[in-house]
Amino acid sequence: MMPAPAATYERIVYKNPSEHHYMKVCLEFQDRGVGLNAAQFKQLLISALKDLFGEVDAALPLDVLTYEEKTLSAILRICSSGLVKLWSSLTLLGSYKGKKCAFRVIQVSPFLLALSGNSRELVLN
Amino acid sequence: MVRFKHRYLLCELMSDDPRCRLSLDDRVLGGLVRDTIARVHGTFGAAACSIGFAVRYLNAYTGIVLLRCRKEFYQLVWSALPFITYLENKGHRYPCFFNTLYVGGTIRTCQKFLIQYNRRQLLILLQNCTDEGEREAIQKSVTRSCLLEEESGEEELSDGGEEAAEAME
Repeated sequence: MMPAPAATYERIVYKNPSEHHYMKVCLEFQDRGVGLNAAQFKQLLISALKDLFGEVDAALPLDVLTYEEKTLSAILRICSSGLVKLWSSLTLLGSYKGKKCAFRVIQVSPFLLALSGNSRELVLN
Repeated sequence: MVRFKHRYLLCELMSDDPRCRLSLDDRVLGGLVRDTIARVHGTFGAAACSIGFAVRYLNAYTGIVLLRCRKEFYQLVWSALPFITYLENKGHRYPCFFNTLYVGGTIRTCQKFLIQYNRRQLLILLQNCTDEGEREAIQKSVTRSCLLEEESGEEELSDGGEEAAEAME
């Protein structure tokens, strides 16, 4: 009886291959008719981070990849270590120039491609 | 055993102006550190660090400061110290900076380090001394601190180190 040859195998585990996280967010105002351009939107995000986490985290590498002024929705990119900080500062942001507003986080994913399809809006016919 | 653990940051205030050290006040300094943490780390940092924060020891002659903070957030305090650039007193602004010498878990370890550090500083001062009167005074302090070490062995008297530090100024 021949002994079975030793099986060789290699196991590769990826904990988190992506170093960025992507968020699809939408800004809602209490009153209608408030508009922001892309620069003002980014300024709002950075001031939210600065209020809660200070100047050190206001300098996190945050990018606004797309921005639509009509619907006030955007896709943001942040490094993975800063995701929790960005999300919590968006949650606690209450007002812009005295007007009440709130951020709605629609989707979060480490892969940008995942933001193209949202299974919540899936319509099955 | 469950208890609150702290970290003690031993810092030295370095400044060009000799009046800066004399205007050190523990409440003013505590307020300054808290404001700097609020600026650098925001509301979260200010709240997290101010729970266990206290100025435990202050020496106006040598500019040595001992700050206490909770163990979970000592890095926030430590990283905010380089952002302190001036000390304000009665309308005068003195540019200065904080040099962190040692981080310890208890006051006793910080004290032990401070005694050794003061001894080394005395020897450095002796080398750079120009005035004869000063040289004699420093040599006396050095011999006194060495004698104290031989007498008491493990139990260091902090008075020796601190009096010698006062004689430095």
